[in-house]
Amino acid sequence: MARQRFGLEGPSHTGHDVGHWDGLKAGELRIQRCGACAEWIWVAQPLCPSCHAFDPGWEAVEPDGVVYAWTRTWRAFHPSAEVPYTTVLVELPQAGNKRVLGLYTGADDPVIGSRVRGEFESAPDENSWPLIRWSAV
Amino acid sequence: MNLRGAAAVVGVGQTVYYQRNTAPRSTRGLVAEALIDAARDAGIDVRQIDGFASWGDDPTEGTHMATALGVHELRWSSLAWGGGGGGQVPAILQAAAAIATGQATCVAVYRGMNQAEEGRMPYAKGHFDTQYSAHGILTPVQVCAMRTQRMLEIDKVPASTLEALALAGYHHAQSNPRAVAYGKPLDAEAYRASRMISEPLRRHDCSRENDGAGAILLMAADRAKDTRGKPAYLLGGVQGFVAGWGELTENQDPYTSNGLAPAMVERLWAQSGVTVDDVDVTQVYENFTGPAVAALIDIGLVPAGPAAGEVMTLENLTVEKGRLPMNTAGGNLADGFVHGIGVVLEAARQIRGDSPNPVPNAKVSLLLGGPMAPQVGAVLFGSEDALA
Repeated sequence: MARQRFGLEGPSHTGHDVGHWDGLKAGELRIQRCGACAEWIWVAQPLCPSCHAFDPGWEAVEPDGVVYAWTRTWRAFHPSAEVPYTTVLVELPQAGNKRVLGLYTGADDPVIGSRVRGEFESAPDENSWPLIRWSAV
Repeated sequence: MNLRGAAAVVGVGQTVYYQRNTAPRSTRGLVAEALIDAARDAGIDVRQIDGFASWGDDPTEGTHMATALGVHELRWSSLAWGGGGGGQVPAILQAAAAIATGQATCVAVYRGMNQAEEGRMPYAKGHFDTQYSAHGILTPVQVCAMRTQRMLEIDKVPASTLEALALAGYHHAQSNPRAVAYGKPLDAEAYRASRMISEPLRRHDCSRENDGAGAILLMAADRAKDTRGKPAYLLGGVQGFVAGWGELTENQDPYTSNGLAPAMVERLWAQSGVTVDDVDVTQVYENFTGPAVAALIDIGLVPAGPAAGEVMTLENLTVEKGRLPMNTAGGNLADGFVHGIGVVLEAARQIRGDSPNPVPNAKVSLLLGGPMAPQVGAVLFGSEDALA
């Protein structure tokens, strides 16, 4: 299966998630976490929805998770897409059960509830960002 | 104050639903055509419209429409926020609130789309950030597919429910000459043979966008009596979300629901004075079949889990034989998809009596709005009897 990229990664225009992408450059999976009340926050926000402290911090967690949902895409919705490819939604028990999306490596169907581990893949060029590829443990 | 009986749909209008990129007019032109058609249906001058409400990044602002139509006065214009089809019910309720509070007297709820002008899938633009796109999630179908996969794999809702909903829409479209699938029936064999788009959703689980426009006109109930045809009174409606949903996207809970939380459903019944057993006919927004099944479970028409398959059979969803007739003009799948306006029109037509597949003596008509979106909603329309 192709280890493809879509060229559509990097911080969003709000910049709320820049800590996550900087983490990937440093070889870490970083999830937003409030420095004041320790609440895990994902999707990234400009303030903690729980205690309203602004500019929540970032905490690195191990790229270990559990498959929460998945889909295998059969239609090329992007000019560079090679189908099929599989995307997983991974639940992170060590980060307040927050869920992150990622590309799945392997031809078998992911099994919801089963463990997966992520591997960091460095950026292929200076215009790209590192990604995490998830596979069954 | 509540919205029960405060406003009524007095007119329903639409353009032809064109194959995308083939509409003869701009989006604004298409919406104008639908509004004129709705005013004709109501028997009023289109210049009497003084309010405009739409959703989902509709590019035809009320100011533009009011100018194009030369209306006497613009008193209300609003756009319901949020990606996906979830703004559809909020747009209706904003129109009703404007009427109930005297801010406007005749408000149009409409949606138009011309993809030659706006580009492909204009309703999805800007709603998939890089957390999605970096991992190949680029369109609404893939997001809905992930949730549907969990609904099937973990909640054990049978895949046959998706098939039944798709087939019911195509079945009803065969007696709707306006439907894009009119004359193009779909059977179980063809459904099962259709290609995978994003597992577990097949081509025939997916709506395909059309260019066109549709509109309903709402007026105060006392003024509705002076219009042509039977008014479809608003019995109640809910919009928005309960904490744990909203823009949390893939972190929404409960993930396999439609987002229509129990507190919202209870408020809908309490406000409208009817129960789930009183619903005579349902229109459910099915951009894709899976989320629509989740919506039907949320509202309580269909049981959760494996038992969903016992209720959701093709026969049970048809006007002729079913206890739960739904998507009676064909739905988004088979009537046509202009960001869900078609199911709005049909929900009103069932009460007004001019549905292509009328449910005999329908008194209570349920509309389940765009599912699994940041905000969701449900509306009940009723006949004069239902209001009594």
